[in-house]
Amino acid sequence: MDTPHKIFSPARLWAIASNTLLELVRLKVFYFLLLFALLIIGSSAFMLDFKFQEQFQVLKDMSLGSMSIFSWLLAVLATAMLLPKEIEDRTLYTILAKPVPRLEYILGKLLGILALLFVSILLMSVMFVIALYIKQQAVLTDAVRGLPPEQTADVIRGVKASAFTVSLIPCVAMIYIKSALLASFTLLASTFATSSIFTIIVSFVVYFIGHVQGIARESLLASPNASALSKVFLAFVSLLFPDLRLLNLTDDVVAGNAISSAIFLKTAGLGLSYFCVYTLAAYLIFAFKEL
Amino acid sequence: MMVKPLAAVFSMLLLFGAAKLPFEHRLEQEDRAAFFHGAKLSLGLRDQVGQLGFLAALSGFRSLVADFLWIEAHTAWEGTQWGRMALLFNNVTTLQPRVVMFWDMAAWHMAYNASVAAMQDPKQPRLALRLRAQREYFELGKDFLIRGIENNPDRYLLYERLGIVERDKFGDHCAASRRFGEAAAIRGAPTYEKRFMAYELSHCPGHEREAYERLLALYKTGRREWLPTLLERLEYLQKALNIPAAQRVNIPEKKL
Amino acid sequence: MNIDPQGLNTIPAISIRNLTKVYPIPFRRERVVAVKDLSLDVLPGQVYGLLGPNGSGKSTAMKIVLGLISPTSGQTQIFGRDSSEVESREDVGFLPENPYFYKYLTGAETLHFFGKVCGLGGAKLRTKCAELLKLVGLENAASRRLGGYSKGMLQRIGLAQALVQDPRLLVLDEPTAGVDPAGSREIRDLILDFKARGITVLLCSHLLGQVQEICDRIGILYHGVLVREGKLEDLVSIENQTELILENSSPAVLEQVRALVEKSGGRVVETRKPQTTLESFFLDVTSGRRTAEEPPHVRRKE
Ligand SMILES: Nc1ncnc2c1ncn2[C@@H]1O[C@H](COP(=O)(O)OP(=O)(O)OP(=O)(O)O)[C@@H](O)[C@H]1O
Ligand SMILES: [Mg+2]
Repeated sequence: MDTPHKIFSPARLWAIASNTLLELVRLKVFYFLLLFALLIIGSSAFMLDFKFQEQFQVLKDMSLGSMSIFSWLLAVLATAMLLPKEIEDRTLYTILAKPVPRLEYILGKLLGILALLFVSILLMSVMFVIALYIKQQAVLTDAVRGLPPEQTADVIRGVKASAFTVSLIPCVAMIYIKSALLASFTLLASTFATSSIFTIIVSFVVYFIGHVQGIARESLLASPNASALSKVFLAFVSLLFPDLRLLNLTDDVVAGNAISSAIFLKTAGLGLSYFCVYTLAAYLIFAFKEL
Repeated sequence: MMVKPLAAVFSMLLLFGAAKLPFEHRLEQEDRAAFFHGAKLSLGLRDQVGQLGFLAALSGFRSLVADFLWIEAHTAWEGTQWGRMALLFNNVTTLQPRVVMFWDMAAWHMAYNASVAAMQDPKQPRLALRLRAQREYFELGKDFLIRGIENNPDRYLLYERLGIVERDKFGDHCAASRRFGEAAAIRGAPTYEKRFMAYELSHCPGHEREAYERLLALYKTGRREWLPTLLERLEYLQKALNIPAAQRVNIPEKKL
Repeated sequence: MNIDPQGLNTIPAISIRNLTKVYPIPFRRERVVAVKDLSLDVLPGQVYGLLGPNGSGKSTAMKIVLGLISPTSGQTQIFGRDSSEVESREDVGFLPENPYFYKYLTGAETLHFFGKVCGLGGAKLRTKCAELLKLVGLENAASRRLGGYSKGMLQRIGLAQALVQDPRLLVLDEPTAGVDPAGSREIRDLILDFKARGITVLLCSHLLGQVQEICDRIGILYHGVLVREGKLEDLVSIENQTELILENSSPAVLEQVRALVEKSGGRVVETRKPQTTLESFFLDVTSGRRTAEEPPHVRRKE
């Protein structure tokens, strides 16, 4: 080789990441987007005889709720099959026999998943905003009809306020961060698991425990004289599991809660530090793994 | 061979856990102060929503579960099952206490629809009992609004709705005036809240003087406030309080 | 730092020192000793054949050399760099046994991907890929997905992939497994071609005939232990015998030869008609008809 070996090469990282993305795309994962589109169109059609506030509420709940579900499932399922498939197909051997550091390999895989999640969430958001806009226009023409001109401004403001709010942006950002966290955790699980099924089960269990972790934590902090055994149990849950409920802003944003930038930054920071810790842990285990 | 990295990773996770624990605790408190994460989900809810729904609600899909219950309540309305509606509304508002619309609509169904239906109930021939049932639904509606306000003290709409219920269903103008006043004090509330407050005050015995001053102040802000009701209440109070003719404002005759 | 068995001052392409690998069997007390105290050197320019029955530890030794698994004890180096360093893999191309690649990539895309993984790119990589596809005879299948490749074609794309960064060393784990005789002959010729270009090759194969044709040196593993090692001629030639193949010679001439040999104190061990090998017979019969990349029905269309 004429050039000295680079410790860290973005080009190499990107080669692995884009190949991972390509693999996932060829697995036709994007078909789930059709399901998403059907869901929002279906829910809009179904809600026609409801008040416009209700229609907006359900449209937002359905869209953001299914966005969370889909990105969660996508993150877990796609990540869980990555490493086992590479090991089973022995494609891993050919790549790691090249001058590729294992850190780059694992980051490249994760980056591929992150790109997939990004594209999916972006597409879902676009569909959602279009659906919201169409609904808003339909409601507007309906609401303004026959109103005296001095009242139309108020009505238009009212309709628009219940349609799109700026808080939807940090909310979608948190959906992304949360799914990235779940992907990094799944990657960690798959580095010591022996099958995809095991990885998927572990990730799902962690997902559910993560949503009640807050209860364990608060009762650990609130009851200093609990029995030693229950304390150990509560500490185990609250130390080792992420509080996923804190990272979920969807339910509150669709309720019309504004997110202060301080809360958003702290929540996002918490999610990202989990992501980094899990990725590092996944690398550490993978670096010493016998292939 | 594999044991060492596993142990390293485990201790790293524990260390990180110890570092993030207080952070999560503080963030949770900040969130609660900003009305995030809803009410604490009770075990009673589990029986009413069903195991699966409760699990989903716990797993970050509160709003979806709330919507399904809401749609169910809508179906119950079409079947005029008022008791079931009240139960479903309770669950919906527990799941999503920050959706003002849920409280608003729940209260409206109770105080305006269920109460009328109770009054016209053909199965209940005794008027006294029908009246009692009607009043119970009024109370139920009011109760939704009061609980809604507890969860949304920063939003004007439920105060306004409560003022209207006090005025129209309970005939309590003093209470109604107080509620409109509370609504007016909230940032972003429409300007009519102040007017409503003054109107109701003018019906509240013993507060005529205060009502007069408020209406006068509104009158003086400009022609935009010279609405028929305002002028009518102002004229009434000028007479009732025996305001000297020199100080009385000129009420234009029958303004179109 | 390297002990050079021939006393020359060259850094061996591969140096294995006291290598032992023990696989633990999960949930059981026993362990598998796959390689036991193995030491050997492969010098630059050599074609080294690692032989042994199934399960004797050949693949394990190769994977350790490539840093895919870690040794229980001992060291391995590639051109003087320890296998645990990523840099040691810059100068080596590896063809794993039964290679699998991404099924959804075409032959050209596969080579391109591995090139990028090696830090190559641009027009240089593109010409390299075309060159390699031609070298392994897959230029007609370049735009087909690997999912539709036959075993032999996969083996060949694997060989091309191993060569993508112009390595000085090739490690080939059963390069001819599952390849038809003509294909395996082509692979043999390719290896001879690499040798002529000065590329060092470490290979293992169960086709001993071919190993004999191309290897300079061989080592035989048995249950993880290197039981024999050395230059091929030294190991297999029978020093006191000579083979003589005659054409168009009458029985009388043969009789004369025999008499001459016996007179000089020698002995004719055996006289027989040489037979063509089944391999060359097969190749004779199928030559001109074999088209691995183009099944017959594709041709008939033309
Ligand atoms: N990951 C593993 N875990 C446990 N044992 C293993 C593992 N890989 C290989 N072995 C064992 O190590 C021994 C050597 O295996 P290896 O694959 O190196 O043999 P080989 O010489 O390449 O055989 P073959 O000619 O069949 O390819 C075998 O007994 C095998 O069962
Ligand atoms: Mg083998």
